[in-house]
Amino acid sequence: MRVLLQPAFILHRRPYRDTSLLLEAFSHEHGRLGLVARGAASVRSRLKSVLQPFVPLLLSWSGTGDLAALTAAEETGRPAPLPPGQVLAGLYVNELLVRLLPRQDPLPRLFIAYRMLLVELAAADAEPPLRRFEKRLLEALGYGLSLDRDAASGTPIVAEQHYCYVLDRGPLVADSGVSGVPISGRGLLALRDGMLTDPAVLREVKRLTRAALAEQLRGRVLKTRELYRVKREPESE
Amino acid sequence: MTALRCLPGVGPKSAQRMALHLLERDRDGAARLVEALRTALDRIGRCRLCRDLSETDLCALCGHPRRDRSLLCVVETPADVLAVEHSTGFQGVYFVLLGHLSPLDGIGPAELGLEILEARLDEGEVREMILATNPTVEGEATAYYIAELARERGIRATRIAHGVPLGGELESVDGGTLAHAFAGRRDL
Repeated sequence: MRVLLQPAFILHRRPYRDTSLLLEAFSHEHGRLGLVARGAASVRSRLKSVLQPFVPLLLSWSGTGDLAALTAAEETGRPAPLPPGQVLAGLYVNELLVRLLPRQDPLPRLFIAYRMLLVELAAADAEPPLRRFEKRLLEALGYGLSLDRDAASGTPIVAEQHYCYVLDRGPLVADSGVSGVPISGRGLLALRDGMLTDPAVLREVKRLTRAALAEQLRGRVLKTRELYRVKREPESE
Repeated sequence: MTALRCLPGVGPKSAQRMALHLLERDRDGAARLVEALRTALDRIGRCRLCRDLSETDLCALCGHPRRDRSLLCVVETPADVLAVEHSTGFQGVYFVLLGHLSPLDGIGPAELGLEILEARLDEGEVREMILATNPTVEGEATAYYIAELARERGIRATRIAHGVPLGGELESVDGGTLAHAFAGRRDL
């Protein structure tokens, strides 16, 4: 199978043999896939600087199965590079995608969301766009959060009410003796609408998406979070 | 022959040539090679300060009396130390990470020996830290992370510039490098 000029991003790269790279890419119409870029790591290769994470690319490859051979790669206009402080956020998202997306499962809408996320990360605070993307990611995986109705009664979420989010059911009114992630109605609605400006709401929402993602990760620990944890330590003292 | 193939760039054909050469024409050379490899393996370890390869507990650069210990250059590999030494006239000391932060490969701060680096910064001798990690996404993330460590301690952290190669032409430089070169322009 030959694929030509497919919009894609590199999620991860690692050296392979002397002069090649193994790539993990996320493409518009073919989802996540593994690619070998032969000779891309050699001293003279121009591809080395092109095949970088967070750069919108057009990739061509041939072959099927888990590992196709990259035949061409070009940039489609390079956006402003991610500010150094946001690179960690970008790596975090890439790690999520590599860990959670099945290979060769086309997720065009998630791809668009990813592209937008990178633009947003370059412009502003990382947290709100990250939470919006995590919500989209869960939807794409088929485990979207239910954010507008009480799971037991089916009544619309009330902003002033306190809820408990039970992962495989949905939000339940907090005082009904269930255990789950505590979250306010306001938080649920804010995540539904993507309007995450209030820091208190952001914290609640983060707890929720983190718990939901943890369930998908099935006990695997995200290495990128370690970087955050170490960095934040001095602040909490 | 199989043993020789562990070297980079050596395939079956070259391995055969090397093995036959050593056995047929240059047995003395082979003996020297064996000797040299054995001593290197036995004696060369890591410097306790900079993690560079060294025969002694403290490498020649770290132990040098005239090196400026307030300037610390952070690089990814021992080969980078040689490159900087060879062409920049840098008179400070080094710290070798032996890699870069790469969460997806399971390489975090501990694997890079950053606690050794932190301890070094805490000693208070370092005034400026020059971050000479590679200009890749992971290299940048590593530089940023280490710069934060420096900032927490009020130490100046600088990043090496990225730009157009000397003698190069703008039109043949890749977009990313050119963008960096523009962002990092300075007054004439």
